[in-house]
Amino acid sequence: MIAALLRLELRRTRLLVGWLLLLVVAYSAILAIVYPAIRANAANLDLSMKAYPKDFMAAFGMEASLSDPGVYYTADIGILLWPVVAAIAGIALATRPTAVDTERGWIETPMSGHLSRVAYALVSVVVQALTLAVLSVATVGAFVGVGALVGANLNAGPFALAAFAAWLFGCAIASVAMLIGVATLNRGVAAGITAGGLIVMYVFRIVGTVQPDLGWLANLSAFRYLYPTHIIDMGTLPWDEVLGFAVLTIAAWGIAVALFRQRDLVA
Amino acid sequence: MISAIEFRGLTKFYGQRRGIVDLTADVREGEVFGFLGPNGAGKTTVIRLMLGFIRPTEGHATVLGRDVWTSSAAVRSSIAYLSGEPAYLGELTAEETLRFMCRVRELDADTWRPLAERLDLDARVPIRKLSRGNRQKIGVVQVFMGPEPLLVMDEPTTGLDPLMQREFLHLVAEARAEGRTIFLSSHNLSEVERACDRAAIVREGRLVEIRPVRELPGDHWRRVSLVLGSAAPDEAFDLPGVRIVDRAGDEVELMVRGDARPVLARLIRLDVRDLTISTPDIEDVFLGYYDRGAPDAPPAENLVVGGRTPEPSGQTAGRTEERTR
Repeated sequence: MIAALLRLELRRTRLLVGWLLLLVVAYSAILAIVYPAIRANAANLDLSMKAYPKDFMAAFGMEASLSDPGVYYTADIGILLWPVVAAIAGIALATRPTAVDTERGWIETPMSGHLSRVAYALVSVVVQALTLAVLSVATVGAFVGVGALVGANLNAGPFALAAFAAWLFGCAIASVAMLIGVATLNRGVAAGITAGGLIVMYVFRIVGTVQPDLGWLANLSAFRYLYPTHIIDMGTLPWDEVLGFAVLTIAAWGIAVALFRQRDLVA
Repeated sequence: MISAIEFRGLTKFYGQRRGIVDLTADVREGEVFGFLGPNGAGKTTVIRLMLGFIRPTEGHATVLGRDVWTSSAAVRSSIAYLSGEPAYLGELTAEETLRFMCRVRELDADTWRPLAERLDLDARVPIRKLSRGNRQKIGVVQVFMGPEPLLVMDEPTTGLDPLMQREFLHLVAEARAEGRTIFLSSHNLSEVERACDRAAIVREGRLVEIRPVRELPGDHWRRVSLVLGSAAPDEAFDLPGVRIVDRAGDEVELMVRGDARPVLARLIRLDVRDLTISTPDIEDVFLGYYDRGAPDAPPAENLVVGGRTPEPSGQTAGRTEERTR
């Protein structure tokens, strides 16, 4: 019964995941192909980057030379492509079985059997986590894999940690979206609040970085934490931050499931 | 007799909006119970409460002895349910949908097939390409395919053609013969008359009465629509069992109860240009019967309104309540 629902939910996810996989693999592969040229021309690039204010460049992930694999990945993927992909997948998947299926009435079909509400909601959580894992591994894997083919010599270990951090970041987005989706049973509201929050935090990080006297704003931004450059350069995970994100994610999912168990399933 | 379903003071408000108010009733094991009322009467709310999709504001309900909210999953395991507006995933075929439903209900994956063949359902077509009637067939198949002791159906024949409606009634009869209990919500009076043993009538969220279907008002009433060539006074229709429910110029709508011969004899003397006689739908019944009172209405066999028990006089509390509005 749970397996049947899980299979169906994964099947419903195919199209979205297919398109997003195409996007992330193509984008990451192109960046990997370009990387050797970036590295070969690092001196010229660094010279041209000096024309811009340092804080301004740092605000967009370029704290150091683009020839640095961590900086290159972070500026182009870690804080650019991945948050967008994670938000699209996380919000879409986290709000579908609860808010959308309640609005459309489909929820009455799987829920008319023996399935408990908790099991139903947990299946949704598993689908979110699995999908985001596939996407994060594909994003980083395409970058590292294609990089290996073109002689970029990227160290797979630190990038695997970056993939884990990206997955956790995506799960945090999905869990918050699910919580709001269950509370409102309205995908539009859940998507708006979640995406709006991400945009605000992105702006906070930029403003907080460019304006040192507003540095405290950057501390309010999720983008400041689990920062890919640090993970890749250091080759280790910031465990305090991992724990913080894990607690936030599990709490949001847990509250969403508990709320789903109690609330009226009528949009 | 044992109750399959019990409602006790069941009330549901969606914020300020009324769903159902103070519903107290019993559905006996093995009977086909109609739940009859116009759109917006609260029928779907009651069904959603039974399935634990929504939580009662007050009161409670039990299905086969289990509370519908606290034991929701267990209750649902004993129910086969057909939603009033079944929403399917358009990209799935009927076969994929029904196989999924079988797995969710822990049935053999091909349990649906004989019924689908019986109802002539093309199961290989994606649901988005199916007509309303064919989509409804999926719901009919899934509700009758399992062994659940209780079948709950919300407007089950909507969109079905007359042949399929007849087949549906056969399926109901077979399920009843197997001793299964059926709770059938409808606003179609004739459907309830043909399928059910007893029926509850609800209006504006309140139970009006519960009767054996043979005593339902629609069993004896006919709607007569006239177009007159020349004016006739209201007194022309002043006959026993006849009531004018609408009049606009030369067009007259009558509700006629009982023997039709005096009415036909009177109509011969009038300048009737057009005449339609039909069985009333539930809206007509409420217009012609419950809204205006019916002194010759049959007594209620089992009336519970607002948690009260039947009045021994046979005069229904529900009707009294309506008259005193």
